[in-house]
Amino acid sequence: MYFAQLKNELWKLFGKKRTYIGFGAFLLAQTAMLLAFRFTRWQSDFERLLSGNGYLASEFISALTVSVVMLMPQIILLMPLYTTLVGGDLVAKEAEDGTLRMILARPISRFRLLLVKWNAGIIFAAVLVVALGLTALGFARLLFPWGGMFVFAPGQTFSVLSSHDGWLRFAMSHLFLALNASVMLSIAFMFSCFNMKPAAATILALSYLFVNVVMEGIPFFDRYDDWFITHHFRSWLLVFRTPTPWAQIIQSEIILVAVSLTVFIIGWMVFQTRDIKS
Amino acid sequence: MISITQVTKKFGSRTAVDHLSLSVPRGEIFGLLGHNGAGKSTAIGMMLGQVWPTSGEVRVCGFDVTSQRNKALQKVGAIFEAPVFYDYLSGWRNLEILSSYTAPTSRERIREVVDWVGLTGRVESKVRTYSHGMRSRLALAQALLPKPELLILDEPSDGLDPEGIHEMRNTIQRLHRELGLTILLSSHLLNEVEQLCTRIAVLQRGRKVFEGNVADVRAGRGRVTLKTPDFAAAAAVLLGLGLITATSEGKFISLGDGHTTAEVTQALVSSGIAVDGIWQHEQTVEDFYMSLVNSTTVAPDSN
Repeated sequence: MYFAQLKNELWKLFGKKRTYIGFGAFLLAQTAMLLAFRFTRWQSDFERLLSGNGYLASEFISALTVSVVMLMPQIILLMPLYTTLVGGDLVAKEAEDGTLRMILARPISRFRLLLVKWNAGIIFAAVLVVALGLTALGFARLLFPWGGMFVFAPGQTFSVLSSHDGWLRFAMSHLFLALNASVMLSIAFMFSCFNMKPAAATILALSYLFVNVVMEGIPFFDRYDDWFITHHFRSWLLVFRTPTPWAQIIQSEIILVAVSLTVFIIGWMVFQTRDIKS
Repeated sequence: MISITQVTKKFGSRTAVDHLSLSVPRGEIFGLLGHNGAGKSTAIGMMLGQVWPTSGEVRVCGFDVTSQRNKALQKVGAIFEAPVFYDYLSGWRNLEILSSYTAPTSRERIREVVDWVGLTGRVESKVRTYSHGMRSRLALAQALLPKPELLILDEPSDGLDPEGIHEMRNTIQRLHRELGLTILLSSHLLNEVEQLCTRIAVLQRGRKVFEGNVADVRAGRGRVTLKTPDFAAAAAVLLGLGLITATSEGKFISLGDGHTTAEVTQALVSSGIAVDGIWQHEQTVEDFYMSLVNSTTVAPDSN
């Protein structure tokens, strides 16, 4: 029954056009960035940076390098927007439309309903990240050759990898990116469980993320980095460091999973006590 | 099928439902009447476990809705005013989605219900292309999928045109006749309630002010119209003889228990008072409802 409900939740989610706004925006952004990288000074500046550090630009201006360059701003700006947009819709939109009342006239527990919705949201987040990664790589490959990877990694200035190693780490980084997206979606989902409009849930989730970014950027809070969720979101880039700081990555991932579960439980507790009226 | 005992629901300081007690036995079509904000939808919400009562007990199909909601709603279907669906999906997909929240439902069962409500041929179309009447049929289909024993209808005719209202009325009668369903109907259409329901309850400002049989309401609780040249004298005679208990509006008398219009006529003629006409007054549910809401200053629930 759970899988039938999950399948139906995915039908609902992927059946509406709104869900695809994120995919469409990513495609447009990627196209724009790729063209900008290729046909502005961006590429030549990058080549100069590489040669200044003793690397051959022809070896490292590759599809892998360019795809990560394209991904970074999208992950910072667009991914929170579209994951929270969908997360904020999951419960609040159904409450607003009245379909939630139809569902809750049936013998399904509120916990089960939320679990199914949350899991469908996580699947959406994962699909969004995979689509983002594949299209970034695919688009970059159209204009750039397959080759070594040059990437800026936190705590290491930059990292240089072979094409094989680079590809493996690129794929692995998407696992962590998917978790980041799930956490963003979960925060919006939690707000969505409150008695509020879908847009309000999205805005509150974005505000929470924004406050994290701002506070993390204030020097006074440097020693409290671990308390900011956005600090842990950066673990996807740590994958590119050599040697890979697995302990740090795993710690961040555990914190992100814990945050996800916590916000889900808060959302459920609020939803459980709510009166659902027309 | 439904048993509500001393249920109160408060939203902050506002009391939406106040010490409400109701009982809907199996096989009945029960009408829930009341003005907007009288507490009908809140009461229905509590029957479906959507609204948590502040106090009291709500039992549906023998189970406490608060603590055993899943069991209580296993054999319950519900339709709400202005049926809403996932407009961007087909009617069929909507039925699959909604039925999955109750139990696995076969394609054959869905097809059977779609045929029953008369949506065959359109069920694969997107719901956004449906008329209001078709949406109502789809709403009925989703309610019937789990083979319910109890159907809760909250303003099912809301927004329908006269033909749609007529069709909905016939459908409810068919549901009762052919499937033997117990039906709780909340409606503003008093004519519809009168034609469909066997018993009604009237809510006013969250409190029940009447519960009784529609037949009794129609009979005007023993009210009789008396046409006579001197109503006051006639009333005095009849009250003196104990044949009636009350008079009203200069033309109505209320018969005392066990007394008939024939006895009244005989008594008046014997007293030399001419009787131009005497007949049992039959009032509509609407007459009754209006007189009730106009006269009632909410008194404590006697049930």
